[in-house]
Amino acid sequence: MDTKNSGQPKDKHFLIAVDESESSKRAVLYVADIVGGFPGFALTLLSIIPEPEEDFFDSEEEQTAWTREKLEAANRLLENYRQVLIQAGFTPEKVRIRSCVGEEKSFAEAILDTRCDLSCCTVVVGRHHKSKTEEFLFGSTSTKLIREAKNCAVWVIE
Amino acid sequence: MALGDIGYTESDLRGMVRKWVSADRVPKRVQVKDTSDFFRVDYDDVVMLGGVPYFVRNNEREGRFGLEDEPKFWVKRAIDLLTGETKVLKWVFREHFEARIGSLVFECVRSPQKEARILELVRGRKDFMQGTTERDSAGHPLRILDYIRGRTLSQITPMLGSDHEDFFYNHFPIVLDEYIGIVEAIRFLHQLGEKHGDIRRDHLIKDETTGRYRWIDYDFNYRHGESRFAYDLFGLGNILVFITGRGDVTTNRTLADSPGILDRLSSDDVNIVFHNRVANLKKVYPYIPESLNRVLMHFSAGAQVYYETTEELLEDLGEAREELERR
Repeated sequence: MDTKNSGQPKDKHFLIAVDESESSKRAVLYVADIVGGFPGFALTLLSIIPEPEEDFFDSEEEQTAWTREKLEAANRLLENYRQVLIQAGFTPEKVRIRSCVGEEKSFAEAILDTRCDLSCCTVVVGRHHKSKTEEFLFGSTSTKLIREAKNCAVWVIE
Repeated sequence: MALGDIGYTESDLRGMVRKWVSADRVPKRVQVKDTSDFFRVDYDDVVMLGGVPYFVRNNEREGRFGLEDEPKFWVKRAIDLLTGETKVLKWVFREHFEARIGSLVFECVRSPQKEARILELVRGRKDFMQGTTERDSAGHPLRILDYIRGRTLSQITPMLGSDHEDFFYNHFPIVLDEYIGIVEAIRFLHQLGEKHGDIRRDHLIKDETTGRYRWIDYDFNYRHGESRFAYDLFGLGNILVFITGRGDVTTNRTLADSPGILDRLSSDDVNIVFHNRVANLKKVYPYIPESLNRVLMHFSAGAQVYYETTEELLEDLGEAREELERR
């Protein structure tokens, strides 16, 4: 948690969960637009790699390589978004990045666990435009976040 | 493979074959084949797995949605020459493919290790196909499955009762109890973090020896999104709609049989994925209780909330079962 010197108010800490989608880009730009340049905010950009289930790989090496590649791509993406936010007026030390592998958790659960770890007051995600069938068959992270989040605000950016 | 390597002579093997098949089915020559390539293993061959000789019979077949049965060359029926039991030998056949449902594309895999893992988890359970895993000569996991004598749920259900009303009042309560057992079996898998992966009504066989349904074929896996088990639940929903309708109630069939009913259906009343199947069956069969129809409507195009876990489904089914009992 980012804090100022003793006696100073704590920063409002936002967690922005992103992937490579356009909706994530919109979420980052929205935060940049709304709070960019204002003091008292800290941001963590989070990317969660889907669980690499062993059944999808021929060998452990292949699975490890896949995970490494995904994490590298996620970190590149996060760094790009970090630069966008810095350009919007956040100081570099106030914008952190974090990537992790989803393991057996859903994306929403992993996001909310991270929110809890970092004591973020607000979670920001982009809204994927899924068809009803797609949401039925595979679920929706933003819907689940809205339903499950406790002690925080959730911004779902159109 | 040299016969001397396996501990049996050809004469031994022919003697064993003779014990389990009729005289006219005993081949003049018995060839012991290497297990690494299923295409090289033919009818009347013998393969050795875990020290046991298996006498190979036909390839298994799988029919889907009225299409001609497709031979599965990597799945062969065989006789365990030590016990005479019929087994199903399932060779490694890895497939990585994109499945399509309408415009939706998702990644799927056929994984022998997944099935091998689940076979261990469900050992001894009457609601799952049983089997063991042995390594073929190339070190791949080859599954040796107990052959289940019986018919599939899709064969059995439409034959029950003289018409839907007779079926619903006289057979459906038992069918629903069986279905609840079917869902409980999947709950067992989900609680262990495993998906079935290919839930459909012809992957349920009613075992003639136990009178209970067994799930078969657990080697598929799909890349899940936010909801790990939603695709499995979709399969369970389709089965529930199927048994409640005593078969698929399609819009075409409704148009032909009762055009007046079709007029009453709205776009919300059809299956959320298969828009030619009716999910709101109460509009077709008004005696279906409300609590049961509410469960069906979770799988309709008009659904606002979806089941994410078998627990949620089972809870609502329990309520539906109680209402049926009170009638």
